[in-house]
Amino acid sequence: MILLAITAATPLLLAVLGETIVQRSGIINLGIEAMMLTAAMTAVLFAQGSHSAAIGVLGGIAGAAAAGALFGFFAIELHADQIVTGVAANLLALGATGFVYREMEQSAVFVRAVPRLRVDVIVPLAWIVLPIALALVLWRTMFGLRLRACGENPEAVERVRLYRWSALGIESVLTGIAGAHLALMLSSGFAENMVAGRGFIALSIVIFGRWKFKGAILGTALFGIAAAAQYALQAMNRGIEFHLLLALPYVATLLILCGIAGRVRAPEALGR
Amino acid sequence: MTRAIVAVAAALALVALAGWLFGHSPIDLLTILLGGSLDETILKAIPLLLTGLTIAVAFRAGVWNIGGEGQFIAGALAAFVAARFGLAAALAASVIAGAAWASIASLLRWWRNAPEVLTTILLNFIAINVLGWCVNGPLQESSARYPQTDAVSIALPQIGDVHAGVVLAAAVAVVAWWLLYHTREGLRLRATGFNPAAAKFAGVNVEAQIFRAMAVSGGCAGLAGGIELLGVTHRLFERFAAGYGYSGIAVALLAQLHPLGTVVSAFFFGALATGAGELQRSANISATVATLIQAVVIFTMILFGRRERA
Repeated sequence: MILLAITAATPLLLAVLGETIVQRSGIINLGIEAMMLTAAMTAVLFAQGSHSAAIGVLGGIAGAAAAGALFGFFAIELHADQIVTGVAANLLALGATGFVYREMEQSAVFVRAVPRLRVDVIVPLAWIVLPIALALVLWRTMFGLRLRACGENPEAVERVRLYRWSALGIESVLTGIAGAHLALMLSSGFAENMVAGRGFIALSIVIFGRWKFKGAILGTALFGIAAAAQYALQAMNRGIEFHLLLALPYVATLLILCGIAGRVRAPEALGR
Repeated sequence: MTRAIVAVAAALALVALAGWLFGHSPIDLLTILLGGSLDETILKAIPLLLTGLTIAVAFRAGVWNIGGEGQFIAGALAAFVAARFGLAAALAASVIAGAAWASIASLLRWWRNAPEVLTTILLNFIAINVLGWCVNGPLQESSARYPQTDAVSIALPQIGDVHAGVVLAAAVAVVAWWLLYHTREGLRLRATGFNPAAAKFAGVNVEAQIFRAMAVSGGCAGLAGGIELLGVTHRLFERFAAGYGYSGIAVALLAQLHPLGTVVSAFFFGALATGAGELQRSANISATVATLIQAVVIFTMILFGRRERA
C-alpha cells in the first residue's frame, strides 16, 4: 500500500521539487496547477499522435513550458504581481483545456487507450534521482548559489531574470513530467480539471518542507500515505473522520509557517 | 475604464476565435454567451459581487486575501447553524464567521509574520475539509443518503424571480464605496495599501488597519456564502464554494478595485457564467469558456495597467 501511495503521490512530488527551486529564486508560482493541467493534455495529444509514451512525456514538458512561459512573461518580464498572474494562469489553463477537451471529446485522441511506459521509470526518477541531482545543483554549484541569491537578495545578483527563468525552466520540465505521469500512468487519459488542486497542495508542502528537498520528500510521502489511507478507510465505510484528518496537513503547514512547529525561514525576497 | 472595455473585448474576441477554429459560428457563440436570462445573471452576479468586494477591499489595504473560498464556506456553515434563530441571525453569523476566518490569517501575520497569501490558501483547504466532514458527519441530512445537509428552514424572501440577496449585495457595495472614499477609516486603509511606510509615518496604526481591512474583506465573503445558502442552494454539500473566491479576483481587477465598478463587473461575469451554461446546453461548447474569459480579462488588465502607469 505504501508503494501505491508513493506512486500516486509522484506528480505531487515533482511539482513540489519544481516549486522549491522556483521559490528559492524568489518567485511564488501559483500557476503550477496550470502547468500540470496543460501538460496532462499535451502529453495525451503527443502520446496519441506518436503512439509513444516517451514522446507523450516530452509533449507534457512542452505544454508545461508554454504555461510557464506565459507566467514568466508576466511575472518576470513585466514584473506583474506574481499572485494575480498565477491565479490567472490557472484559470486560463482550466478554461482552455476544458474547452478543447469538450470540442474533441468524441475524437479518437481522448477515447482510445493511451500508450503507457512499460516500466514506470518516473517514480524512481522523482523520488531518488531528481532530488539528489537538484540538491547538488542548488547547494554545490555556482549556478545554484546565484539562483538562491536571487531569492534572498536580488539586488546583489547580476542577471536576476536569467536565473529566475532558469528556475522556471526546471520547474516546467518537472511539472511537465508530473502532468504526463498523471495522465498517462495514473489515469487512462485526460479528464477535465484532473490536477484537482495538486498545485496548491504542492505549494503548501514546499512550506512544510521548509524549502528543502529532504523536507519535500518527507512532506509528500506523508501526504501521499494519508491520502491513500483515506481511500482505504472510505472503502471500509469509516471515511467520515478522514475529512478532518485530511485537513491536518494544512493545519500542520499553517503551524510550521508560524514557526510554532520548528524554525522556518522563507527566502527573503520571495514574491518580490 | 478604457482598459476594462479593451480587456472584455479582447477576451470575447479570443473566445469567438477559438470557437470559430473548432467550427462554431462566432456570431451565434457570442449571441448565446451574452444573451443569458437576466434573472439567472443576477443570481450568479450576487456572490461574484461580494467576493469581488472581498478582493477589492483587501487589495486596497495592500494585503492579499486569496481566502475568499474558505471565508465563503465559513459564512455558509455559520448561517446554516444559526438559521434556527431567524434570517437576520443567520446573515449576521455568516458575516462574523467570514470575518473571523479571515482574521486567523491576519492574526498569524501580526503574531508570527506569516504571509497572508499562503495562510489564506491553507485556510481554504482547511475550510473545504471541515465542510466535507460536516456534510458527511454531524450535519448530514437526516436520511443520511447523500453527503449533504437537510434544507435550511428559512430562506431569503423573493423579489420577483430573484432573492433579496441582490439588495443586500448592492447595499454592501455602496457601503464599501462610502467607507473607502468618504471616511477617515477608508483614507487610512487606502494609505496603508498605497504606501505603508508613509501611512505609518503619518500616524496610521498599519497593523491594526490591515487587521480591520481583512475582517471587512472576509465578512463580505462570509456574507456571500450565507446568501448563497439562504437564497440559492438551501443546502450545504462538498463542492459548495464552486470557485467564487477565485473568480472574485477577476471581478475586482476588471473593476480596477473600485467598489461601484465591482457591481458592473460582477454583472458582466454573472452574465458570462449564465451564457456559458446555456452555451454548453444548446451548442455543446464547454461552459469553462467563462473561466477562460476571466483569465484573459485579468491578463489584459495587467498588460494595460503597466502601460498606464509607465
